[in-house]
Amino acid sequence: MTEPAGVAPTPLAPRPSLAQLFWGMLQVALSAFGGGLSAWSQRIVVEQRRWMTNEQFLTGLTVARLFPGPNQINMAVYIGADFHGLAGALVALAGMLLLPFTLLMAVGLAYFQFHGIPSVDRVLAGVVAAAAGMALSMGFKILDQYWSDRVALLLAAGVFLALTVFHVRLIPVVLVAGPLAMAWYWPRRPSAP
Amino acid sequence: MSLLLAAAAVCEPASLSDLGTLLQVLWQFLSLSLFSLGGGNTLLAEYHHLAVAQFCWLSNAQFADLYALAEAAPGPSSMLVGLLGLGASWREGPLWALLTAYGAEAAILLPSTLLMVAACLSWKRLEHSPWRVAFERGMGPITLGILFAVGLKILRTADTNAPGVVVSLVVCVLMLRTRLSPLWFMAVAGVLGGLGVINR
Repeated sequence: MTEPAGVAPTPLAPRPSLAQLFWGMLQVALSAFGGGLSAWSQRIVVEQRRWMTNEQFLTGLTVARLFPGPNQINMAVYIGADFHGLAGALVALAGMLLLPFTLLMAVGLAYFQFHGIPSVDRVLAGVVAAAAGMALSMGFKILDQYWSDRVALLLAAGVFLALTVFHVRLIPVVLVAGPLAMAWYWPRRPSAP
Repeated sequence: MSLLLAAAAVCEPASLSDLGTLLQVLWQFLSLSLFSLGGGNTLLAEYHHLAVAQFCWLSNAQFADLYALAEAAPGPSSMLVGLLGLGASWREGPLWALLTAYGAEAAILLPSTLLMVAACLSWKRLEHSPWRVAFERGMGPITLGILFAVGLKILRTADTNAPGVVVSLVVCVLMLRTRLSPLWFMAVAGVLGGLGVINR
């Protein structure tokens, strides 16, 4: 809980109410319409509204990445839960999702109405090719950090083969590979003093 | 194997107005929620399996379209589940489709949200536990394997012609080497599609 040296300690704002949480998250979602959701939520939650310290925010990012669920959504849950428990989490979640989700559903309804039109379908075929490239890049993006760890690469290859060649579903794969990986990576040194 | 083929041949869209099917669908999304490692994209191939192969709500091309829409839209890409919900009950009319969309999104988010709340409240104890360390290190390589499988699955689902595959590969490299917004890639590829260079 110590402030990093060199940063003037700004006092935190009083604990936000549920309504303030909702509007704050709505503001984050609106600001992030061009992308960069995580950076925006830091700017608004830490710098503008001063709800939490940067340190608390970074802890939140760690927790959000560790646990299942979309990172940005988990981050909203962390912020909400920190102030108002479950109710705060749900309110923050609603604030963050309401606008983008409603917008996407409008796009989706338009899609189902119009995707049969040949020119629409032609454009979508192109967009789909780009999206497939984005999906393909996800694995390569995190490959670097495992490059020198043979066991990690072996585990990844096993999971990949099980899913693509043997068509095993995701849940059984994770339930088998997960405990094996956890046993291998169990911290071996006695816990730090 | 022959059973699988037979099932594919008679695959009829599962109707959500049937309570049994509805509960089964909800259960699938609720249980997948806790397996969305690495930020949620790890579930894409499972979504494809549910929507295209198991319940037959969407064709391959429609699934690829919806994935692209969810990626292009602002906000978390897990909102794809809402679009799948729309597709699942589009036949029953737009109102029912919207209800299904909100229901499906709630189902995929609820369990992970509850777990996240529990994690926040007990983080001080969890932070230095060996379980956390082992989980964090162990799930990384598994996520890596899943993401490669997902990338391949989406590429196959997109099923474009040779120029389309080249565009996919180029976009993949640009995603890794540049910090350009992916919206640019989609816009350019959309134009290429409109001109008929990319088709499927």
